[in-house]
Amino acid sequence: MLETAFFNLFAGLAILSGMGVVLSRNTMHSVMFLILCFFNAAGLFFLLDAEFLGIILILIYVGAVMVLFMFVIMMLEVNVARLREGITQYLPLGGMIAVILLIEFVAAASSGVFADGAMATAAHLGQEVNNTKQIGMVLYTQYLLGFEIAAIILLVALIGSIVLTLRGRKDAKYQNMSAQVKVRREDRVRKVSM
Amino acid sequence: MANVTFPFPFPEHLITLLPEMIVAVLAMVLLLIDVFITKGNKITAYLAILTTLLAAVATWSLQSSEVLVAFYGFFVFDQFAVYSKMLIFIGTALGMILSLEYMKNEVNIGEYYVLMLFAMLGMMLMVSANNFIIMYLGLELMALCVYVLVAYQREVLRSNEAALKYFILGALSSGMLLYGITFLYGVTGSFNFAVMGEALQHTDSNSHAALMLGLVFLIAGLGFKVSMAPFHMWTPDAYEGAPTPVTAFMSVAPKVAGFAILMRIVADLLPAVQHEYEAILTILAVLTIVVGNLAAIAQRNIKRMLAYSTIGHVGFIMMGLIAGTADGFSGILIYLSIYLIMTMGVFAIIILMRREGIQGELLDDFAGLSRVRPGYALAMGLLMFSMAGIPFLGGFWAKYAVFMAAVEAGHLNLVLFALLFSAIGAFYYLRVVKYIYFDEERVAFNFVESKPLQATVVAAAIGVVLIGVYPEPLMALCKQALGGLI
Repeated sequence: MLETAFFNLFAGLAILSGMGVVLSRNTMHSVMFLILCFFNAAGLFFLLDAEFLGIILILIYVGAVMVLFMFVIMMLEVNVARLREGITQYLPLGGMIAVILLIEFVAAASSGVFADGAMATAAHLGQEVNNTKQIGMVLYTQYLLGFEIAAIILLVALIGSIVLTLRGRKDAKYQNMSAQVKVRREDRVRKVSM
Repeated sequence: MANVTFPFPFPEHLITLLPEMIVAVLAMVLLLIDVFITKGNKITAYLAILTTLLAAVATWSLQSSEVLVAFYGFFVFDQFAVYSKMLIFIGTALGMILSLEYMKNEVNIGEYYVLMLFAMLGMMLMVSANNFIIMYLGLELMALCVYVLVAYQREVLRSNEAALKYFILGALSSGMLLYGITFLYGVTGSFNFAVMGEALQHTDSNSHAALMLGLVFLIAGLGFKVSMAPFHMWTPDAYEGAPTPVTAFMSVAPKVAGFAILMRIVADLLPAVQHEYEAILTILAVLTIVVGNLAAIAQRNIKRMLAYSTIGHVGFIMMGLIAGTADGFSGILIYLSIYLIMTMGVFAIIILMRREGIQGELLDDFAGLSRVRPGYALAMGLLMFSMAGIPFLGGFWAKYAVFMAAVEAGHLNLVLFALLFSAIGAFYYLRVVKYIYFDEERVAFNFVESKPLQATVVAAAIGVVLIGVYPEPLMALCKQALGGLI
């Protein structure tokens, strides 16, 4: 009973905030709505006993990806009015895709695949299972080698992006530490007779 | 699935990963050392070459006739892996040696060698992979490094263009590869090559369509990486645009790794679907041979010409895969070894041709070389003859090995076709010789002297002649190197 209530709360808020993402005029508000949407989706994961996915969703999407989004939006200075110019042009295609999706959803929902009892219930239902611990056990034992290689791939991505974008600019003003430390009073202070 | 116990036991045979650990750790150490190195100092390069050498020594000292498996069967260490890794070490070390002179004026040059080491690490993991997860991760590690290496000359427009094309097509091919792997996983329920091969023996007709889809996408994805036609589009642009030492490196080492993993997949995974993969590979091989040898004729830029020549060679190497026998596999190893020597020699000469104001990459730039530098001319001539497969030079035995294996496996028509095109291909190799020996000098020659480059040229020329006269040791070595594969 309580679970259903929470499901309705999370799902409803997710839909509302999803609409907010599309409808709000201010791009910054869209991002905020998207964050709210992610939080609610994470709540749905928690209800499904998939607490690891929920945590990851909040940590990675809200914590990192959305912050990046905000940076990009602040830097790009998106002109909303110009973005909306082509709406009549794209409406037929977009509308068609939306209708097709809707038909698919309805067909799938009414096909009986998702009916009560038709779906396999998870074997662990009602048991105390710690997903995070289980994933960790497998990831750091059986898949340890792959995990380590993935870490090295991330390192290479870091090195690569820095190598490709960092240029030793001649006109940039660098700090010269040793010159700063070695500086003496005579270099900076000059007596002037008034 | 292996039984996972907790607390985690020390992985069995962890020692077999020693070469990989050496490379990974020393590459990171080099990254730190490089911060304190002043510009123009080549110490990072020498340390990187030393790292490669250390890894080679470690790999060689670890080799045994047994097949050692570490990390729950994810990582395999056998004779085949040892030999493939040796080829990769030689290719990487030579790539670094060729870079010494060419890249010395680039900014941030330290990371260049670090990225080469990481690329090598990726290839080492690929050839030791016993599992699609490790194979894919190694492949991505290698590819990511090579994308950056291709773009390393940031002021050069075509270097950037090449890298972008390579990156986009490479990402697309990775997607295809993963898509194929998911189908194979769906059919077999495992990522392990041997387990999957076992499961494929018992597939019913229901899962046949999924299996075929997976196979096609798998071959297409890997075909991109070793530049089989029609997945070769990126090759000429990437080869032309990349800095020449990188071109040399990427035309050798990733090909070795790619074919090594293809051989492992064919040997472990695909015996159950031999007819199907033979048919797919035969079509691709025919296309590859045609595209490689015909398109090379039209090229005026020698790096582009060599790109198509590589595609042609890939087509010939694929015949060993199609044969699928022990002879075929050892033929591939022979071909790759000789191809490595020839390619490195040719690229060393091309780098030597770079002189004031010009890149030295056009065929015209080679005109009249024999009168100024008879030594270089002779070496280039020998290497070109060898690539064309003229008897009693190294390249002849390479072709001989794969062609004979294909004939014995009953692919006579394919071999006749390949012979025809290797005769057509001889034209553009011999045209280079014509430019060198019979044409008048068009652009003044004033060469930079570089001991490492000259040593590479001399070693390569001697190598093709020696192997050409006396191929038996190499052939025996490559036969022995199949231990663990078959």
